[in-house]
Amino acid sequence: MAHKKTPLADPEKKQPSESLALAASAEPLAACKTTTSRRDFLKAGGMLGISSLMGTGALMAQSDDARAAVEWAETFQGNYRLMTPQEKAEARARLEKRYSAEYGKKVTVDGTEAQPNVLMGYALNVRKCIGCRRCVKACVAENNQSRGSDPGQRIEWIQVLKMERGEFSKEKMNQGYPEGLGIQVGGNAYSPAGTVLEGQYYYEPAAVPEKDSTYMPIACMQCEKPPCVKVCPVRTTYREPDGPVVIDYNWCIGCRMCMGACPYWARRFNLTTPVLPKEEMNPVTHYLGNRPRMRGVVEKCHWCLQRTRQGRYPACVEVCPVGARKFGNLLDPESEVSLILARKNVFRLKAELNTFPKFFYFYD
Amino acid sequence: MKKIASKILILAFCCGMIPSAFPADEVTCFESRKGASEVVQRDLKPGLPNVKCSPKTGAVLWWGDPFDGTIPLGDMPLMGNIPPGKAVVKPRSEKLAILPLCGTACHNGIIPAALPKDKKPIPIPTMEGLLPDAKNLQHGRGGLWCLDCHHATQRNKLVNNFGDPISFDQPQLLCGKCHGDKLRDWRDGIHGKRIGEWASTGKKRWFVCTECHNPHNVQDGIRNRGFIQIEPESPPQLPKGMKNAKHELVPGVN
Amino acid sequence: MKKLMSFTADYIRYILKGGMKFYAWMGFLAILSSIALYGFYVQNTEGLIVTGLTSQIHDGLYFANLVFLVGVAAGAVTIVFPAYVHHHKAMHEVTVLGEMLAISAVCMVMLFVFAHMGRPERLWHMIPYIGIYNLPGSMLGWDVLVLIGYLLLNFVCGFYFLYVKYSGGTINKKFFMPLIYISIVWALSIHTVTAFLISTLVARPMWFHSVMPIRFIVTAFAAGPCLIILAFLTIRKNTKLWIQDEAINLLSLIITWCLGIALFLTLSEVVVELYARTEHANGLYYLMFGLHGLTRLVPWFWGSLIAMIIAFVMFLIPSIRTNYKLLPIACVLGFGGIWVEKGMGLVVPGFIPTPIGEVTEYYPTMIEIMMTIGLWAIGFFLLTILLKGAIGILLGEVRYGGAEKSIDVASSGKTAAYESR
Repeated sequence: MAHKKTPLADPEKKQPSESLALAASAEPLAACKTTTSRRDFLKAGGMLGISSLMGTGALMAQSDDARAAVEWAETFQGNYRLMTPQEKAEARARLEKRYSAEYGKKVTVDGTEAQPNVLMGYALNVRKCIGCRRCVKACVAENNQSRGSDPGQRIEWIQVLKMERGEFSKEKMNQGYPEGLGIQVGGNAYSPAGTVLEGQYYYEPAAVPEKDSTYMPIACMQCEKPPCVKVCPVRTTYREPDGPVVIDYNWCIGCRMCMGACPYWARRFNLTTPVLPKEEMNPVTHYLGNRPRMRGVVEKCHWCLQRTRQGRYPACVEVCPVGARKFGNLLDPESEVSLILARKNVFRLKAELNTFPKFFYFYD
Repeated sequence: MKKIASKILILAFCCGMIPSAFPADEVTCFESRKGASEVVQRDLKPGLPNVKCSPKTGAVLWWGDPFDGTIPLGDMPLMGNIPPGKAVVKPRSEKLAILPLCGTACHNGIIPAALPKDKKPIPIPTMEGLLPDAKNLQHGRGGLWCLDCHHATQRNKLVNNFGDPISFDQPQLLCGKCHGDKLRDWRDGIHGKRIGEWASTGKKRWFVCTECHNPHNVQDGIRNRGFIQIEPESPPQLPKGMKNAKHELVPGVN
Repeated sequence: MKKLMSFTADYIRYILKGGMKFYAWMGFLAILSSIALYGFYVQNTEGLIVTGLTSQIHDGLYFANLVFLVGVAAGAVTIVFPAYVHHHKAMHEVTVLGEMLAISAVCMVMLFVFAHMGRPERLWHMIPYIGIYNLPGSMLGWDVLVLIGYLLLNFVCGFYFLYVKYSGGTINKKFFMPLIYISIVWALSIHTVTAFLISTLVARPMWFHSVMPIRFIVTAFAAGPCLIILAFLTIRKNTKLWIQDEAINLLSLIITWCLGIALFLTLSEVVVELYARTEHANGLYYLMFGLHGLTRLVPWFWGSLIAMIIAFVMFLIPSIRTNYKLLPIACVLGFGGIWVEKGMGLVVPGFIPTPIGEVTEYYPTMIEIMMTIGLWAIGFFLLTILLKGAIGILLGEVRYGGAEKSIDVASSGKTAAYESR
């Protein structure tokens, strides 16, 4: 750096304009100058350019020849909903090719659209759930979630909440505060008495249902007015006409606004490239459903679109050993769910938030 | 059709009963009740297994073909219209193939002519051998005994109030006698389990009562929940930043 | 056109001149910036699993800094508003420096957005017509719009002013003044929209209240000027640009008011939430006292509160406020306190517990911390360059046709230390 040796560094004030000429011929600092001048003049777009290039570069660096061309087309495909049917078919064919190569088996990516006169609904009997978590594992067996042992690699869409019943105890009767002059807060407040709202998710007993415990599985409620859909800046998550809220994984930018907006904590984030062993991969997939996702995108329950659009129950409904889960067409008065809505005591979680879930809880 | 299917099932059942003759990588899991609803994992088509089993509990997590090994439900009188072929069940009669042996193995080829004179239970060693809790039946709180449900002479049948036999494949005709509201809900799909197509006019495999409930033990001591306890699957993965989940056990809110 | 080219060339040339101190500072920042570039690479290959983020707590250090920096960017209005609306003479002289700060702060916000997103290379999905831009529904859509608009406004206003001064012309008030007025209102809007981003989420009871926007604004107008005062004092010390005492005093007065209101709002939030102590207050309770024995953020909260209170008291006392030896301490305390309280102390507890009650904790990993430092370094790098160029033009050392007057070209930027005039 030639500057250091010049009189420029001299704290004396008067210097002739020769230093300007010196400055003009000055050697630029190596990396700084390039990035400096780029930033100056590409402020608005430069960051986009750099990161975009880096991201694409990272993509390109990782793929081998066979996948490179497919991934390039996939990277720049548009939003699925806005594609023509032919473009959609092309997008799905690209994905089938990629997945089949990756997982070593014939993978199909279905694109069946919503059937008319169908509005999918779900009902769960909270009196029956025993907390066995088979729904959680069946969902994982069906839907190609990431599984792996590092924290953040295992994704499960359903979480089962265990709530214990506590006891009102005599000893606490006089333990409220303040004492004397009429107790303002009873001793049994804030302690596990009656039912404990703050439940457990990581319970691991030898056998369920445990004594004095009730269980409630929670997954995406497939709301009629989904808060997640409203906040998505690129409209990648949206409500399909037959009810479920879906995500176009190739369009998601990973901003996680939807995850912040969901009142039921239904959405999960792929923190890394999903870990999905070939043997465990379910090759029957749907574009908006259980096809393998990529890192950096959000995923969630979609009522097994690959099955329900073909008329079959979601995996969680089929596996429940106590028959607590029911699924059907809300527009069909003979369906199981409609009959439950007609006859049983039904409620929605957080109904005051006006999300209008199509996942109902009931008890009988 | 039913006979062929049942013969195949007997064969399959017997094959399933001799696991040691087969290579060790044969996986068996149970559909609903451990010990009463075992299925052997096999490939229906290359790449499509019939079931996926849980490595932790041995329960079936996923069916490849929900109608694999099923027979039609059969007529249910007074029970409304179900389109033909839309309701199928997994038969259990064939698993009871040992019962016709009862007459030959235990009674020397002669079914005893004498029937009980009254309905008071009398201890019968072979029956107690079959069901240890026979004298303290965990169903009905002392108000039921064997012959309330089992046919007195046709031991591979159940019985209704008129003395007519009921197939083991249709236990709901018997159970529904006392558990009418459950029967109503089961008929409509609200109670119990069905797999298959979700449309109300779709084809479904209905799980019959005894596939989930053990009729000899519904009380399970003082629990009285209708099921025994079962082993749960593993908890979710702890997120980064958490060493363990012990904080969940710290009670309540301060 | 020729003028523009020579403006660019002279600007760059001026920036590159500097002594040991300047280059040491820039070199240090460059090294830190390279860490950020490495961090970007790792995050775009391995994914965000290298950070401490989880599905439960999915907005962490990056989002916290992003939110805080939008406030700093909005804080530039504390210079522009007095300068142009109240015609505060001392502020008027240095308005463009505020605009430069706003530009670099918004750039830092965008950098943190890239660090925060799962798929930054897919940001083109937000461009209208090529992609889908969800207005009016998505608050994030609005946020992007107002941030880009604010960046453009400041860029245009600032560089137009500098260009005019450089080429010795006069400012076309018909073009310039409306933009200035718009930018004043726009500054308020960027931070209000950022506040709306989190305060419209019904799932997060800690954020879902109407105090959030005003809280954002006042903390922004407290933290932004803290940084500006520190920058001004540094400029006074290291360059020939003399920023009047009145400007600095006005800023510290603004900080006093805003810090006071911010503390008042914090107090009111604490009272309202903890009076009834419902489950909705769990996030705040976690921050203040810990939940279920998990107390990672508790020392940070109390530390930041003490820092802010000390800063407020220091600002409140006129003799301390006008003492330029003690003022930097107060500024650092205020800036740091607000950074903790509005950054990590607001973002992370919003996710604890999850909407369905799961309590987890979050700690940033080393990559996250280094990436954050690196991104701040890039921001300061940019800020230094912009300020230096602006100072050069303000001083008259960068002029079309050569430097005017006899002001020495030497030692601009952060080179040698001058004694103050």
